[in-house]
Amino acid sequence: MKANWWYRFLLFVFLTVLSAVTVMPTIFKFDENSKFPIKSKISLGLDLQGGLYMILGIDFKKVYKDEITGYARKMAFSLNDFGVKAKMGELKVTDPDDPQFSVVIENAADLEKAKQRIKDYFPSIIRMTEEKGTELFYGLTKVIRTQVEEQSVTKSIEVIRNRIDEFGVTEPEILAQGKDRIVVALPGVKDIERAKELIGKTAKLEFRIVNDEVPPAKIQEWLEKVKASGLEFKKGESWSKYVVAVNEKLKADLPKDFELAFERKVNKTTNEVTLLVPMLVDAVPRLTGDELQDAGVQIDQQKNEPYVSLEFKSLGAKLFEEITGGNVGKRMAVMLDGNIYTAPNIQTKIGGGRAQITLGSGNFNSLMQQARDIALVLRAGALPVQLDFQEQRSVGPSLGQDSIAKTSLAALISCAAVFIFMMFYYRLSGVIAVVTLLANVLFILAGLVGLEATLTLPGIAGIALTVGMAVDGNIIIYERIREEIKKGIGYYKAVENGFNHAFWTILDANVTTAFAGICLLQFGTGPVRGFAVTLLLGIVATVYTAYFLNNILFEFYMNKTEGQDLSI
Amino acid sequence: MFELIKNKTKIDFVGLFPITSTLSTLAVLASIILIFTSLKYGVDFSGGAEIQVKFDKSVNVADLRSTVSAAGIESASIQSIGDVSENEYLLRIPAKEENLNELQAMLVKALTSKFSDSGVQIRKVDLVGPKAGSQLRLSGFLALAWALISITIYVGLRFHFKFAPGAVLSLFHDVSIICGIYAIFGIEFTLQTVAALLTIIGYSINDTVIVYDRVRENQEMYPGNDLKTHINNATNETLSRTILTSGVTFISSLAMLFFGGVAIQDFFLAVSIGIVTGSYSTIYVATPITLILDRWSERKLATQNAGLAK
Repeated sequence: MKANWWYRFLLFVFLTVLSAVTVMPTIFKFDENSKFPIKSKISLGLDLQGGLYMILGIDFKKVYKDEITGYARKMAFSLNDFGVKAKMGELKVTDPDDPQFSVVIENAADLEKAKQRIKDYFPSIIRMTEEKGTELFYGLTKVIRTQVEEQSVTKSIEVIRNRIDEFGVTEPEILAQGKDRIVVALPGVKDIERAKELIGKTAKLEFRIVNDEVPPAKIQEWLEKVKASGLEFKKGESWSKYVVAVNEKLKADLPKDFELAFERKVNKTTNEVTLLVPMLVDAVPRLTGDELQDAGVQIDQQKNEPYVSLEFKSLGAKLFEEITGGNVGKRMAVMLDGNIYTAPNIQTKIGGGRAQITLGSGNFNSLMQQARDIALVLRAGALPVQLDFQEQRSVGPSLGQDSIAKTSLAALISCAAVFIFMMFYYRLSGVIAVVTLLANVLFILAGLVGLEATLTLPGIAGIALTVGMAVDGNIIIYERIREEIKKGIGYYKAVENGFNHAFWTILDANVTTAFAGICLLQFGTGPVRGFAVTLLLGIVATVYTAYFLNNILFEFYMNKTEGQDLSI
Repeated sequence: MFELIKNKTKIDFVGLFPITSTLSTLAVLASIILIFTSLKYGVDFSGGAEIQVKFDKSVNVADLRSTVSAAGIESASIQSIGDVSENEYLLRIPAKEENLNELQAMLVKALTSKFSDSGVQIRKVDLVGPKAGSQLRLSGFLALAWALISITIYVGLRFHFKFAPGAVLSLFHDVSIICGIYAIFGIEFTLQTVAALLTIIGYSINDTVIVYDRVRENQEMYPGNDLKTHINNATNETLSRTILTSGVTFISSLAMLFFGGVAIQDFFLAVSIGIVTGSYSTIYVATPITLILDRWSERKLATQNAGLAK
């Protein structure tokens, strides 16, 4: 045996133990709370546990129409403010990617003044496309259209993410795909029709007054009481049901006409709730998003501070004036789908249908981000984006269970066939091959846990196929050894030559397969991706087990027989 | 030692090239025509909706059909899948229908209410809009193209660019023949088929690489022999390995095809065909093309030399 045999052998033992420990929670179905150091398990893909996968498309044509209509309203408003009598004209859609809206100036003498005012007020947002007497046509600029496209996607993702908690999904996946598509994957969701309905509807925006007379300590005390009674929010359950249950529990304690709501800060990358601030708010909303016209980010030129501007419809404007007038000094919670997003102080009575949410001073960029987020949430309720279902795949839970049973059985049969053949054909060397193949499967499974990849149906199939293909490495080596033996050189030398010649062949063969695997990974979504991951993991595992592990075992074998015997 | 192939074979593979290359060319041409004329695309690529429904008790197909018609979908097709005793059906709404989404929802509702006594389960719904369908077609095609390109470059760099066209054409041969067979038997071309084709591309190249490896090794050892002899020797020397490996993988693929159930049938059917064409194409497509290129470059060199001699 070569001097470093023990090191290589120990590396193998280490890898095997590590892999075995990694896959143990999956195989023996350990509980989350068990004392075992490794918690992660192989999660099952949508096709195995059931669930919903969707690609939603955004219809930008409709978004542009809504945008330009909104600006026409603002232009008319701003002109009237300025003393130029004007009203909204009509929508003209000759090019659906660039719809136009007109503003009619009532007094022809004001025309130039109006044009100047619009130019000053909406620079780089809209452009004049046509002038028909006193009717001025405006379209969105390219810059703003690009911005709208970007915002629509982020906005929609925000809204959808907000609702995902409702489905009791543990690992939702919501991502932008390309410029105008959103992928939503909800593994394990049971009520598929409801999930679709909820994602499709528009956000519910509400304004409620915060009751700050109750000290935070008191609120905390209530929450402790709830917790003591055994009610706790568990990951994977419906958040809103939990909030309802909390309020139900505290019915006797809470002041009349108030309820508890939470401000949630969600980490955008991990999608996890990082902070929950409980507040006591009106049980009935004072104002809803239906009354909001628009929201946006503006910058206070004097203080150089960003703020959020709100614009209400006429009824909303009146209500807002009343609410703010009656609650100066209190906080107003802006809630979306039942969660508080922000709760600014009401500084004064606000009339005229326009309000501002100031964020105070601080780092400009972080304030800007905050302002944008709030505007996004507000607009999500007021300005729904038309999402259409471009692709939808749903799998019922029973199908997944059937598939697991069938495919696993087939995979076992398939592997068994390979094992039996190898042992029959190569005798003791075949047994070594089976050991390497088993190690291969173990490493693939451990790799899946380590990468937090999901196991899909084609993935299970991929493991079986990998075994079928990994055998290639063994066969290359064994056939080469046989060839060398036939040349009449000793077993010892034959084994060494066999391994030396086979290395590059095995590597080349696997690298080319890896190229195909990478293309598959790029192409595939969902189940197919799962297959690609298994295939790629399989390639790495194959190179190690088929060449290096085989080598370790053969060296040991040759050492035992002292090069006198070789069953191959 | 138990051997499938005893002693060293001495088959003159190169001698068979004229016949096999004619056959291969014809098969590939026929396949390409079939792909463009009669390949049936599944819902993933053609768009449309597919509903897989299973009943606890057996149901009358006529009842099923009338329910579908009553839901206002005349163009839907109904197909029984798996064993008849499993009472499992696949309903398809073609892409030409507008409002696929509503139609599909209506159909699901109609099925669940009408067959509630028969224990209806909606097992799977796949709905692909026309936009998504064309998107998937494009990305599927691109993935195949990229796989071919990257493998060509790798083979070119690792061996010699003389070897690359043979390798890539043999892969093209495999892919088109699988599609051709799909077209002849009216088997649907789905996302899984694309995944299988990519797998086959990755797998089939192994054989080719192994023969090339041996050719290169022999070239170093016996520089006196011409490429034709090298190819014949290398193919013969690696023949038992080629047959064994392909055989073993074929067995495991067949096991998956027969026992794995409907969900992965598509995939393993293509893989099984691909393993067979892959072994064939290594011997009869990849190497002949390398040989032709070699002769062509030699002739070119010879004429150049002749030109210089003048």
